[in-house]
Amino acid sequence: MRAYRALLRKDLLLELRGRELVPAMVVFVVGALVLVRLGLGGERLAGGTRAATGLLWVVVVFTSMLALVRSFAQEREHGIWDGLLSAPADRSAIWAARASATFLFLGVTQAVALPLFWLFFLQDGRSPSLAVLAAALALADLGVAMLGALLAGLVSNVRAREVLLPVLFLPFALPLVSVAVRMTVDSIPPQNGGLGALHGLGFLALYDTIFALLGWALFEYVVED
Amino acid sequence: MNGSHRARPDRATAAATAAALLMALALAMIFFYVPTDVSEGYSQRIFYFHVPIALTTYFLFTWGAVNGARFLLKRDMSLDLKSYVPMHLGVIFGSLTLVTGSIWANIAWGTWWFWGDTQLTTFLIIFLFNCAYFMLRFSVEPGERRARYSAVYALLGVGLIPLSVLAVRIAQDALHPIVFRSNGVNMDGSMFLTFLVALAAMLSLAVSMYLVEMRGKRVDERMAQLRRLARGAA
Repeated sequence: MRAYRALLRKDLLLELRGRELVPAMVVFVVGALVLVRLGLGGERLAGGTRAATGLLWVVVVFTSMLALVRSFAQEREHGIWDGLLSAPADRSAIWAARASATFLFLGVTQAVALPLFWLFFLQDGRSPSLAVLAAALALADLGVAMLGALLAGLVSNVRAREVLLPVLFLPFALPLVSVAVRMTVDSIPPQNGGLGALHGLGFLALYDTIFALLGWALFEYVVED
Repeated sequence: MNGSHRARPDRATAAATAAALLMALALAMIFFYVPTDVSEGYSQRIFYFHVPIALTTYFLFTWGAVNGARFLLKRDMSLDLKSYVPMHLGVIFGSLTLVTGSIWANIAWGTWWFWGDTQLTTFLIIFLFNCAYFMLRFSVEPGERRARYSAVYALLGVGLIPLSVLAVRIAQDALHPIVFRSNGVNMDGSMFLTFLVALAAMLSLAVSMYLVEMRGKRVDERMAQLRRLARGAA
């Protein structure tokens, strides 16, 4: 636990001082939302709120890839790996700290993205339930951060890692997005049944639990050298 | 080749013979024995190819992941090969599943691809996962690290496959004919028997392909060793 706290503090301090990742993610998410808005027709929204809500999730996935691609970049570029691996601490603490930092970065980015989403797309009074959307985003971010930390560790010593990471990550994002989109779109009034929020959130929690266990158990094998 | 080798056929030949016999029996049963489906007609027979191929794909991925886990525990490089070969065959059977599923979709619903169909979409996710496995494997130099990374990614698939099945099922409207329900099998005796023979044929085909590919890989390895030795002697 001490190792986890120290590593998380290191990740947050590095970001606070260097401001390398979060500003880029915020600018990216704003640009992507503008692009989606223009893509759906500048003045009249093609596909309505439903299409926009689905596309919000696509933007969320692509933004999270920015965070994942830069995961462990500092460790690699400044030779921190050797120090981390020789420390007398459980190696899964490295994974847990990295996942927590990514989760926080994604949260900050979405705190900017959600009001913009409302401003750009939801002016006609028909909007998905914001409580459902926020809960789904939090659970999805958690899953993305935990799985992403493992995959980022996996590719950190591989050539063409920046290209490979999105390729490895995308298949895992598909079940997450398919449930999250359905759940948030079905919360748009008038609600005619569809996927209930509790069922959807239950699935996302299951997703998080499975990748928490796999990440915790497998990270040790990823960073042996 | 010596006499004793000829007298006792090896496992690959035995498996290939069993696969050929079972396949011939399955084809005969599918086209001449099983009754025609009342609602979908003659073309429903593609079910006896599509579903056994899909189940064989799941079997191959599970086999690959189990051997991946065994590699992580034992660090025996032969287990890496035993994990890679089923994953490789899984791509072949997975592609066949997508093709036969697409043909069936066209026959049953008049469209080559239907996003509302749970099984086809799930298979697409698994297929993408498998392609990613190969991208990872061939980005790392051969050796212990490559084996370790491949095993970890294969094991992540164990989490992904049930989640994809569940996700697609709860996120989409069920249209795919559900033959196996929790309360039993939804087809008559002769159809079920034909299905079981077709499944046995596909599984034995997969096993014989596995044995042949393993033999090829071992020969490759031996050739590489011999080349290294020859270079060292010269």
